[in-house]
Amino acid sequence: MKTASIITSLVVALHAGVLPAQTPGLPPPAKAATDGKVWGALVYASAQKTEPFAKVALPKGLEDLHERLGKVFPGFPHFEIIGQHTQDIFREYESWVVPSRDLFLKVDSKGPAEGGGMNLHLQFWQDQQVLVKSDAVLRSQSPLFIGGPKWREGRLIFVLQLTNGGGK
Amino acid sequence: MKTPPDETQIVRFLDGQMEAAELADFEQQLHSDTKLRAEVEMMREISALVRTHVPRERAVPNADFFNSQILAEIGRDTKPVPREKPAATGWLDWLRMPWLAGAAAALALAGALWLQRDGGVSVGAESVVLSSYVPNPAIQARVYHSQEANATVLMLEGLDEIPAEKAIKGVAVHRTETDTEVATTTLFSESGEVLLVLAKDARNQPRLLVR
Repeated sequence: MKTASIITSLVVALHAGVLPAQTPGLPPPAKAATDGKVWGALVYASAQKTEPFAKVALPKGLEDLHERLGKVFPGFPHFEIIGQHTQDIFREYESWVVPSRDLFLKVDSKGPAEGGGMNLHLQFWQDQQVLVKSDAVLRSQSPLFIGGPKWREGRLIFVLQLTNGGGK
Repeated sequence: MKTPPDETQIVRFLDGQMEAAELADFEQQLHSDTKLRAEVEMMREISALVRTHVPRERAVPNADFFNSQILAEIGRDTKPVPREKPAATGWLDWLRMPWLAGAAAALALAGALWLQRDGGVSVGAESVVLSSYVPNPAIQARVYHSQEANATVLMLEGLDEIPAEKAIKGVAVHRTETDTEVATTTLFSESGEVLLVLAKDARNQPRLLVR
């Protein structure tokens, strides 16, 4: 298969050889059990007007993301979604939310949360550096905003929203 | 001439800490003084409210996080203020400070509201960051919940600014595939194009590969 051969070539070049057998921490099998789903986005907050926001289909319950961001980051009137990623949260394996190759998130499920939502272990990465590790309860009506590094005249913000899953 | 009882005496009376003679004297005043009776009744009701709605021991939600925050705060406190040990340890001792009578009513109300929350009105609505660890000591993480935005915020300060000339490029990931044989996650666009491939290097760090 063409895609598979490309991937294999890339990975072989990276690892130059042997990889361990499947263990927790490695990507899941094709039909791995999931605990839920998250939507992640990298947002550029700036004082300068940028590209329109409406091009991106926002997840249900987060249609007012622009207004919410404006309340948390009042110094920035403009918000642009640079990238987005909807990702299953695997029950037994790590999941990655990668709206950009520069800033991305590793998500490990710790099961449904009491009162709804999901217990998650999060790692926020910038390239090869983990910026912060967190344990969090993510609930569907309440996104997590991670205030990231400054860039140009603004700041990068990672948005994580639980779109599906979690116990009651 | 006898001085009218003050809040301290009322509290001691309600706590059952009066000596026999003092108690007899107080009860005599209570019998003849309607204003004093009303004050005693009010404080008795406040006490009952507090007892009812604010358990003396209560499981702290997210105890680990609270403990870590408290310990961090203690560590920052370089000028500890010596506190006088109270003479008695009755349940109502704190009421000896007169200004706390109003606060007690507010506390009872807050307790009642808290119980309503636990009753299912709003519990479970907010995301919560239970703990955070920043490996780089130059970076600080601050966590708070914005009621206005109904969002939980993990604010990172002290990060290196990304150079302006660096292009931050995003992707719109439509689906992902994993391959256990080569331990990778492949990110696809809506049109099926491979956007990125995530793999781990020898130090178990993520590597994003672009075609």
